[in-house]
Amino acid sequence: MQHVAVPHAQPQQRQFNPYSENGGTILAIAGANFSVIAGDTRQSEGYSIQTRYAPKVFRLTDKAVLATNGFAADGNMFVKKVRQRLEWYRHAHAKDMPLRAIARLIQTMLYARRFFPYYVYNILGGIEEDGSGAVYSFDPVGSYEREACRAAGAASSLVQPFLDNQIYFKNQTPAPGTTHPAHLPLSHVLSLVIDSFTSATERHIEVGDGLEIYVVLAKGSALQGLDAIQGLSELTTTDDGERMFVIRRNLKRD
Amino acid sequence: MSIMDQNGGSVIAMVGKDCVAIASDLRLGNQALGVSSNFQKIFPVTDRIYLGLPGLATDVTTLKERFRFRVNMYTIKEEREIEPETFAHLVSSTLYEHRFGPYFCEPVMAGLSKTPSGGYKPFIAATDLIGCLNFAKDFVVAGTASEKLFGVAEGLWEPDLEPEDLFETISQTLMNAVDRDAYSGWGCVVHVLTKDKVITRTLKGRMD
Repeated sequence: MQHVAVPHAQPQQRQFNPYSENGGTILAIAGANFSVIAGDTRQSEGYSIQTRYAPKVFRLTDKAVLATNGFAADGNMFVKKVRQRLEWYRHAHAKDMPLRAIARLIQTMLYARRFFPYYVYNILGGIEEDGSGAVYSFDPVGSYEREACRAAGAASSLVQPFLDNQIYFKNQTPAPGTTHPAHLPLSHVLSLVIDSFTSATERHIEVGDGLEIYVVLAKGSALQGLDAIQGLSELTTTDDGERMFVIRRNLKRD
Repeated sequence: MSIMDQNGGSVIAMVGKDCVAIASDLRLGNQALGVSSNFQKIFPVTDRIYLGLPGLATDVTTLKERFRFRVNMYTIKEEREIEPETFAHLVSSTLYEHRFGPYFCEPVMAGLSKTPSGGYKPFIAATDLIGCLNFAKDFVVAGTASEKLFGVAEGLWEPDLEPEDLFETISQTLMNAVDRDAYSGWGCVVHVLTKDKVITRTLKGRMD
């Protein structure tokens, strides 16, 4: 008599993880009449570098810049969708969407995905309708706030306390009869951004390779020493509106 | 949550010009609950060596006593004070004795070591919980706010700071780092060691 082995059905489990984390850090600082939005260009997964140049900072309109950090695929898709909505707005209203409206749009777009979120921290920078520099920061599901400065991403815990000290003058007492400035000059802000990223590069493995700093200047404001900066190129499209620049620098690649 | 984060607390040490500084917060907590705002984590070992012990509070107390015992034994046997480099290796070997059941502390040391010419050379070091030594030339950090401390220190520290400037640098670094850490804070203490005196100051900072 021949025995046939009856295979027992073993329980099996399958899994697919739709998210990953791609490192990097972004940072934005608002001035009185300008806004600076920066991000490094390294894209990594675990201990491997996928590319040394993957932009995380994107121009949305003549006066708005969006920086994304977290899961790069979601970040790129989200920027694509925001740009599409801004284009529809232009067709409907024959003008660019104001910054505070873009901020609210981003909130609704993120919250629309409340139960399958874009795995991305967003920082929106630019010029408000009153000509003031502005920074809006978001969490992945759309909670947002207008601030003077914000760091997000892999090295945010390294950079944010440094910014608290240098931008908000936390734990510093002004000399008697004086007050701390509410906004810093552009040249000073750029130095702080560069210092923040060199520090983050030194101590965090997911930060490095390249640095992209977007600068948006309010309508009719002076260059404020920007022309003396190395690696500067202008992105302005109109000659009577806000001006936009990008500064590209190298960071350590190790 | 890690056992290293049970009680909270952070320590940092920095090198200056012919001086060193070591500073810590004063919080003792049980997870998110604050228990004490006067829990010392830095202890004098000799007149010229200070030891910071962030980590599990029960091990902070045990290790402090254990090092006091071992340094006293060394002093009696050798009939001289222990040098910072020697003490660092004493800390390292004491921790490594418990390689497979460690004390949950990451010691940070700051001191001035004697040079053959009779002067003093700044010395700082830190180890992990099993005694792996890190002799840094600039600064060392440990505790629940270590990431934040690294970020701020990397931005504020510069070589050859005079004692008063070093005090300001280490204080600002510590305060701004612990203000972004829920497990550290509730006041700070700073020691600056120079060749002829030790300056100790208690800072209030944000008490929330």
